[in-house]
Amino acid sequence: MDSLFMSFVPGDSIIHRLDPRTKILGLMLASICIFYASSFEWIALIALVFVILILVCKLPLKHFVHSARPMILFFVILFLMQLLFTEGKPIFSSKWITISYEGLVLGTILTLRFIFLLLFAALLTTTTSPSKITAGIEKFLRPLPLKYMGISSHDLAMMMSMSIYFVPMMYDNFRNLKDAQLSRGLNIKKDPVKAIIALSVPLVSISVRAAEDVALAIESRCYKSTGRTSVHMMGLKKNDYICLFLYILLILFCIAY
Amino acid sequence: MSIDVRNVSFFYNRGTSLEKHALENVSFSIEKGEFVLIGGEVGSGKSTLIRHLNGLIKPQSGSITVNGMDVRNKGVRSKVSLLMQYPQKQLFGKTVYEDICFGPSNFGLKGDALAKQVRDALKLVGLDEGVSALSPFSLSGGQMRLVALAGVLAMNPEYLVMDEPTSGLDPENRYLLLSTLSKLHSSGISIVVVSHQICELLPHAEKVIILKNGCIDFIGTPKEYLMSVSSPLPEITSLMKDLRLEGFNVRDDILTVDDAFLEISNALRSRGAKQNG
Ligand SMILES: Nc1ncnc2c1ncn2[C@@H]1O[C@H](COP(=O)(O)OP(=O)(O)OP(=O)(O)O)[C@@H](O)[C@H]1O
Ligand SMILES: [Mg+2]
Repeated sequence: MDSLFMSFVPGDSIIHRLDPRTKILGLMLASICIFYASSFEWIALIALVFVILILVCKLPLKHFVHSARPMILFFVILFLMQLLFTEGKPIFSSKWITISYEGLVLGTILTLRFIFLLLFAALLTTTTSPSKITAGIEKFLRPLPLKYMGISSHDLAMMMSMSIYFVPMMYDNFRNLKDAQLSRGLNIKKDPVKAIIALSVPLVSISVRAAEDVALAIESRCYKSTGRTSVHMMGLKKNDYICLFLYILLILFCIAY
Repeated sequence: MSIDVRNVSFFYNRGTSLEKHALENVSFSIEKGEFVLIGGEVGSGKSTLIRHLNGLIKPQSGSITVNGMDVRNKGVRSKVSLLMQYPQKQLFGKTVYEDICFGPSNFGLKGDALAKQVRDALKLVGLDEGVSALSPFSLSGGQMRLVALAGVLAMNPEYLVMDEPTSGLDPENRYLLLSTLSKLHSSGISIVVVSHQICELLPHAEKVIILKNGCIDFIGTPKEYLMSVSSPLPEITSLMKDLRLEGFNVRDDILTVDDAFLEISNALRSRGAKQNG
């Protein structure tokens, strides 16, 4: 019954106060590193960085665990696929399945990668308010010649940040819906097909309606995509420069390595 | 035979910085066949409380039993039907008919009995038989709420719990819903209604529970409620109060127009007798 999935938690830590651009850039770098992480040492290093960041942002680990929890099924499937379909030195085999050593290693690393990807993304969304993410993305996109394609950088940024925050909203709707259908005697274990229909059909219709409502609400408040200013005065401060310096070090290190 | 809520407390997001104490040591009981009205300002914990009644939320401390059975047991869901706030969101069937079937068929109803139950439920909420073949998504918001209500009624519960069933309905449908509720009530079903329209429901209620910041602020009969608060009274009750201030010898704990009529005509008669005598 907790709604902590990928949503913003206000706070006053160093990470909360960093410029959104610094954090978005950090997330990009982190994602690249995670995708290159191919051994357990790398993963351990990434885990260490993550733990330090959590300690700095002073939020309990619980917030992040909650963000990863709904994806457990996905992680399990991912792991099993790697485990069962990778060829190599068998460590267990029966008539039906063969598990190879390589499969076990590959599966574990791949799953951990996805988990950390999600955790780092959650670090951005829990410490940065939606409007700041929008402002940050908008600044990044500004140099692109989007004008000639008929959209503004603000449009794109708005779309991106709205899709990020649609996720917790859908999750919330989903839980409410599950409660409603359970009250009507839905038994998920006994009749999974019916459960999927009873949950997904209304979820889609709620989401489509919600999207239409948001569009109308934006329209009725006279949204214009050009000539907008942001409530957030963005400026890089000392901490941001320190981070950027660290990023550059990291990149140089990776290139040299 | 009752729902017993004993010392229930509940926190959202327990153990995080967003922790929210939504219910604090709440105890009360709902007798079989009773009509209970639950009120309180927005965010006072009403929805949280009624989600406990059929075990959607397990009590973090304290206990809840339905007819002696713990709510952790899924069997209570066939006894206690819950209509959530914004119930129009839960519809999914290809047709209205199919959607209303969902509840009762989950509890094993089939064939003619099922069809009859669905038709009765539609009639109870005052929807035309014609809508049963339509897609629920083609209906208006208010009509969708009525379909959702029919879906819950069709389960034939012992306890019917509803979260703000009258909000967003037109006056005619509100009136129909209220009379449906009193009809169901007189047929022996317990009714629990969460509502901000306290005045509208007071005449029907037998017990009033008012929550404030997750605690029970008031619990008692509608008449005790009228005596205890200075919040807006039903129009007919404030009229009786005014009459009393003007010197008429009438009771001011009246809730319905019929009672008021009797009371006023009695007062007039005795006043006439005094003047004549
Ligand atoms: N899923 C949730 N996560 C965190 N806090 C919640 C959640 N749902 C409700 N709350 C909090 O718990 C408190 C009680 O909420 P609840 O929905 O029970 O109020 P309510 O009395 O039904 O209000 P309303 O009249 O607006 O429906 C509120 O302060 C709300 O902020
Ligand atoms: Mg509510």
